[in-house]
Amino acid sequence: MSIKTLFLLMLAPLVLVTLLPSKASAIPVFARKYGFECTMCHSTYPRLNDFGQRFRMNGYQLPGMETLEKDITETSVPVAIRTSAGYNNDNFDSTQTSNVDVNEFQVNGVDILAGGLIGPDIGFMFVYPPEINSSRGVAGQNGAIESANVIFSNLGSTWFNIRAGKFEPAYVAFSNKRHLSISPYEIYDFTFPGGPAFSDNQVGVEFTGWGRDGFRYAFGILDGSETNGSDTAPSDYYVRAAYVFGPGEGQTAGQRIGVTGYFGQAKPLASWQETDMSEQSFDRWGVDASFNVEQWNLALQYLRSNDSSELWNFSGNVPYSGGFAEVTYTPTIKFAGFTRYDWVNASSILGDITRWTVGGRYYIEDNMALHLEWSRRNESDLSGSDINETLWTARLDFAI
Amino acid sequence: MRRLVLLMIVLVGLALMLQQPKLLAQGQFMANTLMPPVPIPADNPQTDAKIRLGAQLYFDTRLSADSTISCATCHDPRTGWANHGKTDTGIAGQVGGRNSGTIINSAYMRYQFWDGRAPSLEAQALGPIHNPIEMGETLENVVVKLNAIPGYVEQFQEVFGTDVTTDGIAKAIASFERTIISGPSPYDLHLMGDDSQWTSAAERGRDLFNGKAHCSTCHSGPMFSDQSFHNLGVGFDGENPNSGRFNETNDPADFGRFKTPTLRNIALTYPYLHTGSEQTLMDVVDFYNRGGIQNDNLDLLMFPLALTQQEKEDLVAFMESLTGTIPEVPIPTFPEGPGLPADPGGGLR
Repeated sequence: MSIKTLFLLMLAPLVLVTLLPSKASAIPVFARKYGFECTMCHSTYPRLNDFGQRFRMNGYQLPGMETLEKDITETSVPVAIRTSAGYNNDNFDSTQTSNVDVNEFQVNGVDILAGGLIGPDIGFMFVYPPEINSSRGVAGQNGAIESANVIFSNLGSTWFNIRAGKFEPAYVAFSNKRHLSISPYEIYDFTFPGGPAFSDNQVGVEFTGWGRDGFRYAFGILDGSETNGSDTAPSDYYVRAAYVFGPGEGQTAGQRIGVTGYFGQAKPLASWQETDMSEQSFDRWGVDASFNVEQWNLALQYLRSNDSSELWNFSGNVPYSGGFAEVTYTPTIKFAGFTRYDWVNASSILGDITRWTVGGRYYIEDNMALHLEWSRRNESDLSGSDINETLWTARLDFAI
Repeated sequence: MRRLVLLMIVLVGLALMLQQPKLLAQGQFMANTLMPPVPIPADNPQTDAKIRLGAQLYFDTRLSADSTISCATCHDPRTGWANHGKTDTGIAGQVGGRNSGTIINSAYMRYQFWDGRAPSLEAQALGPIHNPIEMGETLENVVVKLNAIPGYVEQFQEVFGTDVTTDGIAKAIASFERTIISGPSPYDLHLMGDDSQWTSAAERGRDLFNGKAHCSTCHSGPMFSDQSFHNLGVGFDGENPNSGRFNETNDPADFGRFKTPTLRNIALTYPYLHTGSEQTLMDVVDFYNRGGIQNDNLDLLMFPLALTQQEKEDLVAFMESLTGTIPEVPIPTFPEGPGLPADPGGGLR
């Protein structure tokens, strides 16, 4: 697809937004179904508030109002589209190579989303980023289905729900899909060569439950790390427990603490012929907390990993750890500011990573944000060289 | 194939955009429609004579045991057809347990009373008469008293073809109450394209109402009420909180649930909540902003809202924009009869 075609693609909805006589209110799937603004479920889009989190936990139904719900045959078209476009300045400064400065306008992919109810207590979510070739000004995407899952809710009570298919697992305490920053959570992305990012959507089945007392649990069996051709699926499983003090889900109200354990098996990269190519084990242990005071949120994540040496082609087991501390300030529904410090301590493998991120989003409408972000990432490897990346980005992020 | 997928994306996107106003209007929980025609039950059609009779009965203190209380005593037309007391005082100075709801637009409500124990205005109309705290009269005695007043007997014969009956009393009062309907509010006018009374604060408040403040999940539809029951924790910070809807259903899940009141004309009908514990709209917003009061049955969608002062003021501005024109009804002349005379002031205090 040519860049001209893609820009026209992006431009058409914007022009229509401008021309439409009515207010460009919340549009995407659920907002349109209920007639809500986006801020019913998002503190500021795409970050979920407690209402949205509980709506998701309840299988895309309003908790306590299940009998009033309409399924997809009774509602408007359950389809939405999300994309962003803007300007990036990405500077790479290394002690061993020359400075590289990349400036570009870029369209950052397209997601097609659908979600709703198939029937009472049976919800679904589908996210498909269509295949787009990477080219000048266009971020590529491979067209793989990102999410396709069905959730059976309230099987007897809120204590038993089943989600099956490809989904964002509940062990991801802070969604990498719905956080405000462009810069990723480093510790979630850090993994052995060819392995899955911790926050990647997974294929499998998940059991979850929650109650009024604040306790939440999740247990899942997943295909897991199939990246290197693992063939013993399902091979991974995980457990999570969390507790919320006070009303809320710890998103924007209540105080939440959680613990997570993930146990996986994966094959090393096929190119490492000298290593044992059988399934190797790895595990992740994490603790997390989310604290809220008025319009402020502090999110904390610590994750410790222990990988089999063959997955890194090293000798001996490979431990590494990391986490992040993120502060989000949402003074109004029109603005959100955030800052985060990420770190990965992998000195026995590759070196250490740190990242500072500062950004803000101004909402022209609650489904359309102007996004400004600065982020500086430092990666020091075992040889002592440093690679510094400084990213400036300004984007228009919207969903229709 | 890729071109086909992209074409599909564009077409779906365009279709969604072009349908946007229509789709928004269809939102299940939107409160963006004008009030429909007043629903009239088939077995109680409106007639002028019946409405006149109902007005007399509504204001007549002789329906109470000691001829001091009329319907209008607690549902006073001067105070939004409600009452500005936290709870009301019935006969012999007895104090009731719940705040008096307005009768404005009550014709649209599926349930009457805070606990919804009356499924119609007809069923509601008789309740206060034989409530020992409110009007303290027996239905049998009311019928006897009114049948001794020739003016009432004559009207009942004209309207119902019978002497005074409890069924007739209920139907006449209900018919009168179905005429107490508010006219267009600034929000209604805004929906009709007239922004002369619409403010930017109300506009912002409307967005908060349908979003961050989470109001429209329950205060939805043309009456700003889902016609259902919810537990906000009201009264759970004290001893023996009122059991609400549980009284009617005996379902433990209904303990502490109360009817979602209409928000139309809400600015007129302070104080608020079934206890009358919140004096102003800002107090109510503060109550919600704190997430209600924790209890085992608290609605699952009640959370602290982290609203700013400006946002709270905008919400209040929106709710104030729901005040429509209120019908002015003169106190009728009452038929004379034996016993205590009717209070010519209609029982208004």
